[in-house]
Amino acid sequence: MHDIALLVGYGAAAVNPYLALDTVTSLRADRARYVQALEDGLLKVMSKNGISTVQSYRGAQIFEAVGLDAELVARWFTGTPTRIGGIGLAEPGDEARVRHARGFAPGADGLPVGGLYRWRRDGELHKWNPATVATLQDAVRRADRTRFDEFERLCDDEERALVTLRGLWTIDEPAAVAIPLEEVEPVAAIVARFVTGAMSFGSISAEAHETLAIAMNRLGGRSNSGEGGEEAHRFEVDANGDSRRSAIKQIASGRFGVTAHYLVNADDLQIKIAQGAKPGEGGQLPGAKIDERIAKARSSTPGVTLISPPPHHDIYSIEDLAQLVYDLTAVNPRARVSVKLVSEAGVGTIAAGVAKTHAACVVIAGYEGGTGAAPLSSLKHAGLPWELGLAEAQHVLVENRLRDRVRLQVDGGLRTSRDVIVAALLGGEEFGMATASLVATGCVMLRKCHLNTCSVGIATQDPALRAKYTGTAEDVVTYFTFVAEGVRRHLARLGARTLGELVGHADRLRVRPLAHAKAARLDFRGVRGVPAHHVALPRSFARAQPWDLADHLDHELLRRADATISGGAPVAIALPVQNSHRAVGTLLSGEIARRTGARGLPDGAITVALAGSAGQSLGAFLVSGVTLALAGDANDYVGKGMSGGRIVVTPPAGARFAPESNVIIGNVALYGATGGELFANGLAGERFAVRNSGARAVVEGIGDHGCEYMTGGVVVVLGPVGRNFAAGMSGGTAYVFDPAQTVRALTNMDLVELGAIGDDSDAWLVRELIAEHVRRTRSPLGGRLLDHWEAMASRFVKVLPTDYKRVLAARRARPASAVHLPVAG
Amino acid sequence: MGKVGGFIAWERIVPGKRPVGERLADWREVTVDEDPAETTRQAGRCMDCGIPFCHQGCPLGNPIPEFADLVWQGRWSEAYRRLAASNEMPEMTGRLCPAPCESACVLAIAPAELRALPTGEAGGVPSLVLPGAVTIEALEKAIAERAFAEGWVVPRPPRVRTGKRVAVVGSGLAGLAAAARLNRAGHVAVVYEAAARPGGLLRYGIPDFKLEKHVLDRRLAVLEAEGVEIRCGVTVGAPDGPSWEQLRAEHDAVIVATGAPRARELDVPGRDLGGAVLAMDYLTEPRRSSVPPAASHDVRGKHVIVLGGGDIGSDCLGTALRQGAASVVQIELQPAPPPDRSPANAWPAWPLVFRTSSSQEEGGVREFAFRTTHLEGQDGRLVALHGTRLDSGAAVRLPCDALILALGFTGPTATPPGVALDERGNIATDASYATSLPGLYGIGDVHRGASLIVWALAEGRDAAIAVDAALRR
Ligand SMILES: Cc1cc2nc3c(=O)[nH]c(=O)nc-3n(C[C@H](O)[C@H](O)[C@H](O)COP(=O)(O)OP(=O)(O)OC[C@H]3O[C@@H](n4cnc5c(N)ncnc54)[C@H](O)[C@@H]3O)c2cc1C
Ligand code: SF4
Ligand code: SF4
Repeated sequence: MHDIALLVGYGAAAVNPYLALDTVTSLRADRARYVQALEDGLLKVMSKNGISTVQSYRGAQIFEAVGLDAELVARWFTGTPTRIGGIGLAEPGDEARVRHARGFAPGADGLPVGGLYRWRRDGELHKWNPATVATLQDAVRRADRTRFDEFERLCDDEERALVTLRGLWTIDEPAAVAIPLEEVEPVAAIVARFVTGAMSFGSISAEAHETLAIAMNRLGGRSNSGEGGEEAHRFEVDANGDSRRSAIKQIASGRFGVTAHYLVNADDLQIKIAQGAKPGEGGQLPGAKIDERIAKARSSTPGVTLISPPPHHDIYSIEDLAQLVYDLTAVNPRARVSVKLVSEAGVGTIAAGVAKTHAACVVIAGYEGGTGAAPLSSLKHAGLPWELGLAEAQHVLVENRLRDRVRLQVDGGLRTSRDVIVAALLGGEEFGMATASLVATGCVMLRKCHLNTCSVGIATQDPALRAKYTGTAEDVVTYFTFVAEGVRRHLARLGARTLGELVGHADRLRVRPLAHAKAARLDFRGVRGVPAHHVALPRSFARAQPWDLADHLDHELLRRADATISGGAPVAIALPVQNSHRAVGTLLSGEIARRTGARGLPDGAITVALAGSAGQSLGAFLVSGVTLALAGDANDYVGKGMSGGRIVVTPPAGARFAPESNVIIGNVALYGATGGELFANGLAGERFAVRNSGARAVVEGIGDHGCEYMTGGVVVVLGPVGRNFAAGMSGGTAYVFDPAQTVRALTNMDLVELGAIGDDSDAWLVRELIAEHVRRTRSPLGGRLLDHWEAMASRFVKVLPTDYKRVLAARRARPASAVHLPVAG
Repeated sequence: MGKVGGFIAWERIVPGKRPVGERLADWREVTVDEDPAETTRQAGRCMDCGIPFCHQGCPLGNPIPEFADLVWQGRWSEAYRRLAASNEMPEMTGRLCPAPCESACVLAIAPAELRALPTGEAGGVPSLVLPGAVTIEALEKAIAERAFAEGWVVPRPPRVRTGKRVAVVGSGLAGLAAAARLNRAGHVAVVYEAAARPGGLLRYGIPDFKLEKHVLDRRLAVLEAEGVEIRCGVTVGAPDGPSWEQLRAEHDAVIVATGAPRARELDVPGRDLGGAVLAMDYLTEPRRSSVPPAASHDVRGKHVIVLGGGDIGSDCLGTALRQGAASVVQIELQPAPPPDRSPANAWPAWPLVFRTSSSQEEGGVREFAFRTTHLEGQDGRLVALHGTRLDSGAAVRLPCDALILALGFTGPTATPPGVALDERGNIATDASYATSLPGLYGIGDVHRGASLIVWALAEGRDAAIAVDAALRR
């Protein structure tokens, strides 16, 4: 696959893989299927890179070479970045000769196994292999320091076998600078810099997920919710003082379970732009793994496969990202916002952009990590080592004098204290260990995460298998403590009292003299050095980002609604609004969620009448009990992430235009909403209700890409829809008033089917929603539809995802307690 | 990759054994062949792990997930090809291997459930019953037997000869594996064997009820048809045989695979009484009902004590029961191992737990933590064994008129003069099995000390690869 993707990416118009085709034939396999697989694969590669057509992919050269000589690249792959130099044509030639000799030696028995994707004894070296896995598990279970030293030795030695860039370096620890171990900062200060990887509840079992959270909370480090939401009971502290709450809450493109309540229960809100091990690819959770519990946490439907869209639909530029950072800061001002990027060429520029969004932390994810769920096409040839990305981010941030405003976190295959030190020297301040922490809980790298058959009870939701789970928080604590102790020993040898002192001192790395033919020509000057004119610039975090919420409109709302939030009488507030007021209602919602939990306030508790043009993100993450009634219009992102409450938008008093033909709210309304209601007396922009999973909305017309990736909730559109309607929609229902019968042509039919308003409950639901719309907005169009309801009802088209329909039918056929979900495939 | 969720749907089932009564009445193999449909299901239980710990656990590094999947898909002949590429004689390991692969299988992780069941399983050295492990050993046997039955095991003589000659001394599995491979690579491989017939411990040691000798003969026939020459009755280094120097002078390489037959002795008063024999002398004769054993080795009607609680002791126990001993007690010096893994003996390491061999389930009494102090005789013949129980310190007298000493082995009896030995007296080699003498290699028990057939096969194979490379240089 990679071959084909590379050839086309470098400009080939056609590829004839004749040898592969002949091989397929000789294996008596189906050539057509092979070709189909290549096609699908190429499509996948393109989509991961956000490219929709082969025309734009062909010749796009979206590659970076690692380990190729600059001259060779200039001659044959002109224009491709290659940062560390490396081999020319002779070395691959020699390898081909060796392979040939091996294949044609007398007595040769078939081809070697290879072991590229699965570890094999005589195959490719994998960093997680029987020895490292077993030694780590044995070390933590018995809390055996000697065994752990052995584990670190195995890992670090292996790296010397030239599998990682850091394996090519040594750390400069001259005896003269060493200090006594006692003078080095304590373990507690070091573990506070450690985080576990973003692994969602759903991809891993509740037991495993909570083990990591408890362990990190005990240590004072941070665990990461991943992108699957979190069960609310985990926000309470256990009787024994343990906390199962993930300190880092992730906000990914799918926005699963991202509610105000979720967001306020965090110390770190992490926007996942991409994942190192599968850049460009959203998470995917197969239906078989989605039981009632998981579905609840994600506000989705059990048994229905969930796909996170590759992009965030509210982020197309750094400005959009800044808006999301602002929204998140508003909903939870006590948490910091971090942004996760992947290690790739150009990540430095992006990191600088992120620093300007006022995010507090940039995460650089390398390609080594990643669950066994990552598709094979992403295991190899996708992403880059964190060493390169981190070094680049560090350089660009220092150069642009932005480094002191953000923290840099790094993850992707970190396992040992040496890894931590190398990462710190390259500029990292915080360190993520994802796979290693899972291995400490018993993961043995079955790579069966996507099949729900993990036999050690980690990446499965099958109760019988979960019963086999043996991981404990103690083991995870032991792991991180051992790493921290190792870090201390390194610090003593390096003569540093704190890890912080070393951040960004890449000059303490030395390149090992390398005898290996393929390594001999590498050149790390670009990675390790600090340019002389930058030596004086700050190399690590030093000062907080500017505070953006000072003039937020909600301060006034909070003042007036304070008593109501504490259980007092309902309150009605009227305020003018202007488009510099962003995320109105969001700060308020965060406070309500913090004080009242997931419940929020009773309906009607706080009513805010706004007049004017609202700025971006009106009612983002709104909660139950708050009604925002805006007379005027609103910018983009209305009701983004809304989890309750109500937004009503009507034209300004006295407007004389016909509401149903004028745009009243901007793009990307209700993105990732999990609940609540929106009534818009007018047209909405593009990408309406994308990834909505629970909100109900009535709107009088929408732009392109409406209801994309929706997984729940109800959308009633009284007017036109744009192109690509309902693409990737796997749940929820949309009803479109379609007198001109254009909806079919505009709908993306991949996952949905169209029908008429069916039984009575359908008709009742739609009619009630329209009636509510009319009551709240006095919509003339809505009024006319109700007046002639009998005739109009038949002109509605019902859009229902096929998979969702099947599951709903199955649920209706059985008592709720005994739902057994039919699973596709 | 087998069936998704197969290991959940289907339990681990190992091939059954014949009823004890029937077993004791003959010398035939204990295990019965498995229904191919069951084998297929069992193969479908393999998950094709990201890290196949089984594959690491196997000293041969057999491609377990690969052949399991091929069996699951019904592609048996390919499964055999795959297996035979790394394992020269899967029909032997399929019967005799203690299967460290299975205890390393990811499906064997179940600390709470890990129990050695009261019965040993599979034909050979009893392997630990692991709750969920894939039945790898049984798969191997099924694949190998299918291959022989279908005629897929055909001699593959080399197409070209290199003109190089290699002498292999010793026709145990180590020697045979090396010779087979070297021959196929085009070298002339001559095997020198001191005994009357080839096979080493497989022929003179391992009883028929674990391995019927026609299985060995079947393989030998293939090797000879491929061109491996086996010269029996030739003791290298003995006065009447070729000297080591001579052998080295006449060959481009010499591989020593002479085993580790030096038995550990019992050093107590009374050892010289009549009625006490070494296990290897006792087991050496072919155990077939048609061949009456020599008088000294016939324990019919006798009260037998087997000293040594290990696998060889078990083989003696099974043999004594089949001969019709009046009673058999098997004594072990060490205390009985625990039923579960201890924390320090975590998966995927070989589990040091209590096991019961197929012979032990057939009868006899087991004693643990028992130190023999002296043997009591009457008229020069043994009548009782005296010892101390190590836990209570109690002195015990056990009546006994036949004592079999299965106390293990301490190394080789004779080694080529001048070759460097390790601290235990075995031939020392480097990673490619080269000894201190140029062109001389050492493999199998003579190099490792008494070990397992899977190691003999692995060293034979790897040494052949090393020797081949050296000869081509
Ligand atoms: C009773 C018993 C039962 C066993 N059961 C099992 C079992 O179930 N499973 C298992 O895995 N392992 C078992 N083992 C161990 C296993 O048999 C050995 O580890 C393995 O066979 C060793 O093979 P080898 O080729 O190194 O040596 P051997 O099989 O010992 O072969 C050495 C050969 O070299 C010959 N020889 C020695 N000196 C000379 C010389 N100077 N010139 C010519 N020839 C010479 C010998 O006659 C012999 O044939 C058992 C061992 C015994 C004793
Ligand atoms: S040879 Fe033994 S260890 Fe190897 S796969 Fe076969 S049974 Fe398992
Ligand atoms: S460890 Fe077990 S399940 Fe995994 S590949 Fe090996 S035999 Fe199959």
